[in-house]
Amino acid sequence: MSTDARIALEDVSYSYGKGALQKQILFDIGTRIDAGQIVILTGPSGSGKTTLLTLIGALRSAQKGSVKVLGRELLNAGEKALIEARRQIGYIFQSHNLLDSLTISQNVQMALQLGGIDGREASNRIAEVLDRVGLGEHAHKFPRELSGGQKQRAGIARALVNRPQIVLADEPTASLDKQSGRAVVELIQDLAREDGSAVILVTHDIRILDIADRILHLEDGRMKSLSEVVSEGTSRMLNLLEKHDPHSANYLATFSFALARIAYADGEVRDSERSEMRRILHEVAKLEPAEVAFIMELSMMLKRTKSGLDTRMSNPALDDIRAEHFLDSLYAIARADGIVSSEELVEIEAIAAEFGLMQNVNRAPD
Amino acid sequence: MFGSIPLGWLQLKAQKLRLVAAIMGITFAVILIFVQLEFREALFVSAVRYHTAMDYDLAMLSPKTDFMVSSKQFPRARLYQTLGFEGVESATAVYMRLVSWRNPVDPSNARNILAIGFDPAEPGFDRLLNDEQIEAIKIPDQVIFDRRGRDEYGPVRELLDAGEAVSAEINDRRVAIAGMYEVGTSFGLDGGVITSDLNFLRLLPTRKKSAIDFGLIKLEPGHDAEEVQARILKEIPQDVRLLTRKEFMAVEVQYWNKTTPIGYIFAFGAVMGLIVGLIIVYQILFADVQDHLKEYATLKAMGYTHGYLRNVVLQQAIILGVLGFLPGMGIAHLVFTKGADATRLPLEMSVGSALAVFMLTVAMCAGSGMMALRKLRSADPAEVF
Repeated sequence: MSTDARIALEDVSYSYGKGALQKQILFDIGTRIDAGQIVILTGPSGSGKTTLLTLIGALRSAQKGSVKVLGRELLNAGEKALIEARRQIGYIFQSHNLLDSLTISQNVQMALQLGGIDGREASNRIAEVLDRVGLGEHAHKFPRELSGGQKQRAGIARALVNRPQIVLADEPTASLDKQSGRAVVELIQDLAREDGSAVILVTHDIRILDIADRILHLEDGRMKSLSEVVSEGTSRMLNLLEKHDPHSANYLATFSFALARIAYADGEVRDSERSEMRRILHEVAKLEPAEVAFIMELSMMLKRTKSGLDTRMSNPALDDIRAEHFLDSLYAIARADGIVSSEELVEIEAIAAEFGLMQNVNRAPD
Repeated sequence: MFGSIPLGWLQLKAQKLRLVAAIMGITFAVILIFVQLEFREALFVSAVRYHTAMDYDLAMLSPKTDFMVSSKQFPRARLYQTLGFEGVESATAVYMRLVSWRNPVDPSNARNILAIGFDPAEPGFDRLLNDEQIEAIKIPDQVIFDRRGRDEYGPVRELLDAGEAVSAEINDRRVAIAGMYEVGTSFGLDGGVITSDLNFLRLLPTRKKSAIDFGLIKLEPGHDAEEVQARILKEIPQDVRLLTRKEFMAVEVQYWNKTTPIGYIFAFGAVMGLIVGLIIVYQILFADVQDHLKEYATLKAMGYTHGYLRNVVLQQAIILGVLGFLPGMGIAHLVFTKGADATRLPLEMSVGSALAVFMLTVAMCAGSGMMALRKLRSADPAEVF
């Protein structure tokens, strides 16, 4: 890991309580986040994502592993080091957390005066940041005079006025409706891009997942890969579908398999073909739009996988190690009934040829 | 506007009702402290009115004398002995006793009054009486009356000012009021008359001329009172006390402060005021910190130190102290003006005592602030997420 990552975590573990009551919340978390990256941290409640955020935000000092924020090690950091780190970070809180007795501009100034900026420069910076979040006209209002979305934007202005290299946001859309939530997230995205900040966004809100450059998923204090999460979620949903509506499940699975075979027989799919397919599925097969999208995604994924393998020299999806595991697995399945029959060998060779793995087949399988 | 933000003041100002309640509470406490301390001060100042007014450098008294009004006698010879010491200019023998005074216009009304007799040839009362009055008391049965005595002695002041002759019965003996001097009342006495030693003995026939209550010794200019005191004490029998002005007053103040419950009661009252103020300010600040706990935790999460927040709370404490003190001082001043008229006690607010109460108020508020700070410790920035 290079040292210039904005945030670098290595084997971070964290426990609450002591002795018999000790409860471990985080297990061996490791990741790094670079400048300009927007990372969304998701996970069910109690998964430890807030604890992780407070560790990165220097609100607690880490107990085990390494938490490096802007190159500063926060493992067992003292109060002074934590405060220093906090000043480098812009926080956006779940419920804006503005100071009620201060005007919007004074609230922003509270952040600014931490950096020792005052006088004319302060007034310029405040005016500028409030304009950026679209609150220029509300500078001298009190938080109670603003709507929820406006308050959250004021909170963003406060977090960003010091142009922090790291922005942390905890459920910034939790108390907002869909439209203002979206606007707030896009604002964070734009501002972070402009300033080149690294952003970590904790959220439950699946509507905003698409703004992320990367999604980190925590479950029971452990980091999970996205494919694991998606596979788990999808297979659970498919199982549900099969259980409660086996007929549709069968129908959709068959459809997508067949569609993929026919449409991709010639090796390429044009946009015109694609929209025609959607139209037919919708009008002839009488499928709902969501079902159409599902079949299309599933069949496209099959296609992408194949073409990915064809050009695997430039595509890391199936590197040599993985290709080896892939073939080992096929042989293992063939051996499962005791002997590897000739039919089975032929089939394995066919698959390997199809996926461009011929050079691996000829080595001794064991 | 873009200086640093006076957060403490803005937080207080944002809750006007609470601010007003706090200021009223502190004002009340300040008045309580002022009144109690001032009454206590008045007690001490009034208790030594005669000590202050009489002209002497050293005072001689019986060791049995606790306070002025209940003086015990000692041999006059002991006083005259001091005349033989170098530096002693004069010695005035003083007789003192509470006597019964009958109201000149309503003789059925009798009341105790302090009678003071002294040798008019000596200078001990030169500051209190003018030459004319000193001549007047040499005439039998003539006394000088304290014009600042309580009204219950009758309208002596008014009658004399109007040019009428006034006479009254003291210990069943009719005396003429030949003039007025000015000293005033205290917790121990309501008024007084001064006359010659001979007239005094006429009022109290059982008293002996050779047994006096106080001796007032005046030194020649350029002599140090303590030095002369030490010299005299080395030579004379130890059956009398010889005190400097300061010591003489201290004995009286000591009596009222320590031996009677009066000094204690007022001190206690002042402490009560302080405690009431302490509790009020604590409650207000505690509630304020409690209400803003989330905001303070937010500030900590942004990188503000505990010290900054501590200053915010202390700033609030001091603002409350100042805002509560000013009206408190104003009202206390009014109370004193009214109270001085009603009681004839020396109730007045000195700059020194105002300053002392101000310091006390600020200390009280800061102390409460310190207590409220313990709540601030629980503003955990990790809790705001």
